[in-house]
Amino acid sequence: MTHTPAWEEIEHTADWALHVYGADLRMLFENSAGGMLSLIDGEADPQGTPFRQIIELEAPDQETLLVDWLNELLYLIEEGMLPTEVTIRRITGQELEAEVTGGPARNLKKHIKAVTYHNLSIRRTSEGYETTLVFDV
Amino acid sequence: MRKQDFKRISEYIWEIPPTYRDDMRVPARLYASERLLEAALGDQSLEQLVNTATLPGLVRYALAMPDIHQGYGFPIGGVVASRTSDGIISPGGVGYDINCGVRVLASHITYDEIEPHLSDLASVLYQNCPSGVGKGGSLKLDRKQFEQLLHEGADWALKEGYALPEDVKRTEESGRLRGADASKVSKRAWDRGISQVGTLGAGNHFIEVDLIEEIFDEEAARAMGLVRGCIAVQIHCGSRGFGHQVCTDYVRAFQSAIHKYNIQLPDRQLICVPFKSPEGQDYYGAMCAAANYAFANRQVLAFHVRCSFEAVLAGKVGDWHLHQVYDIAHNMAKVEKHEVDGKTVEVVVHRKGATRAFGPGFEGLPPEYRPIGQPVLVPGSMGTASWILVGTPGSMEQTFGSTCHGAGRTMSRSKAKKTIRGDKLRNELEASGISVRAGSMPGLAEEAPQAYKDVDEVVKVVSGAGIARKVARMVPIAVIKG
Repeated sequence: MTHTPAWEEIEHTADWALHVYGADLRMLFENSAGGMLSLIDGEADPQGTPFRQIIELEAPDQETLLVDWLNELLYLIEEGMLPTEVTIRRITGQELEAEVTGGPARNLKKHIKAVTYHNLSIRRTSEGYETTLVFDV
Repeated sequence: MRKQDFKRISEYIWEIPPTYRDDMRVPARLYASERLLEAALGDQSLEQLVNTATLPGLVRYALAMPDIHQGYGFPIGGVVASRTSDGIISPGGVGYDINCGVRVLASHITYDEIEPHLSDLASVLYQNCPSGVGKGGSLKLDRKQFEQLLHEGADWALKEGYALPEDVKRTEESGRLRGADASKVSKRAWDRGISQVGTLGAGNHFIEVDLIEEIFDEEAARAMGLVRGCIAVQIHCGSRGFGHQVCTDYVRAFQSAIHKYNIQLPDRQLICVPFKSPEGQDYYGAMCAAANYAFANRQVLAFHVRCSFEAVLAGKVGDWHLHQVYDIAHNMAKVEKHEVDGKTVEVVVHRKGATRAFGPGFEGLPPEYRPIGQPVLVPGSMGTASWILVGTPGSMEQTFGSTCHGAGRTMSRSKAKKTIRGDKLRNELEASGISVRAGSMPGLAEEAPQAYKDVDEVVKVVSGAGIARKVARMVPIAVIKG
């Protein structure tokens, strides 16, 4: 069963927070990326050279893996590359392999400094997984 | 948490005793009026304050300033002091924008002189001071030069011609933390930082042209060169992608390291290690490098601001020059000595959205400021007043030489974005005589004055509690934002 919407913005006084859902860990990680990219709200320049990148990560636990994953995407954006499609090809609680494609970033509406660990926990629910992400903006 | 959980210590001091939660090691104190306390109960900021009271090695109490609001890990407005001997340093506590801070430059230009040129000046400032998401700067540095910048901070800027000697003297720590160690910084942080020197960034960062509306302390104002009816400039920004990456790297690395030191935390973002541990020293070296980056960054921006003033105003006003009033950090961990139970103790003071406010006599101040105390720069929200204060003996006695840093948010960003339109807000500000240049209208809406507390009330609390003294109040006439 898939939760709709896959993510929703929740109240946070100084920063941004997202509640994210996923039927499985793979979906949770993809939806977290989708939610974060929707906050940044940029576009890939269709005239520019597209990119395709494989990201492989290891972490001691699944929360750290999630923060690492999103920080990888933020780093790509900071380098001027906007992911438009992210696919988690393989994931366990401590490892992932993902394929990211996109193009040169332009018209970014928002800047996210980093993904935080604030009260971060990935929870199992009857529908799959959920978590709350707080971004420093 | 409820109001009844607090013990009222004095008119502006409220204390949560350590019995409130089993894991508290020290009491938690909030500086606030009754109204600001009630506002703080509206979000998670006070629970975050209690969380900071659980950190190892703390002395006296965990503190929060009246501009407290919900952050991640520490509340914004949080201050703790941890013994260097057996306490901790927390990259999560300092936050991602290491040495985010404020610089104020002042002039003898009157409002009547600048008014006909204000719109041009705002446009030239917007053009000369790169701002917005991911924007690079005009400086092309090689790795050797960049390493020097990381070790020397404002001194690097002076050497390169971006600073006057007086600027450096009138900067917290003379714009250079000696503990900087660029070898403790990742390649990623180098890559992110090297192209962003002299840029403002986005979010709540800004450059603002202000009118000094009122002077409250003639002697202090004279020492700082503040004249009623004249123009000042504020620059608010930090260490850009460089600091963000340093924090990201160490928060990540310490997730494993913390197990070695058997530290239990109520929130993973409070991640910390013993200050004296190899990991703690590595972070301190990297954090100092990021702090130096921010000092240099604000200095290069000040250079661009001066160039803009010269380009627009030279020959049109009596004297277009801008002199530095001071430059302060409000996200930082500093090694300082403070009195605790009659003894001098070396502590790491973490100020997360709080400003150092050292009182008169402090040797680190330039001679002209020693009799009056350290200038404290408190920007208000966009379109409302900002304040210049000075540190007091009271801040040394009560708050590890700390005070507030701004107005403090009260409305969430998502609510501000939903209820306020950026273009409408810009028109309202323009109609009230404030020139606005902004790269992002949704970004402008999130920073609307309605989203912040009343800075005048915040200042009333810190001056009423004796942890700062009023010097001058300024109102904005031009705002430049990313």
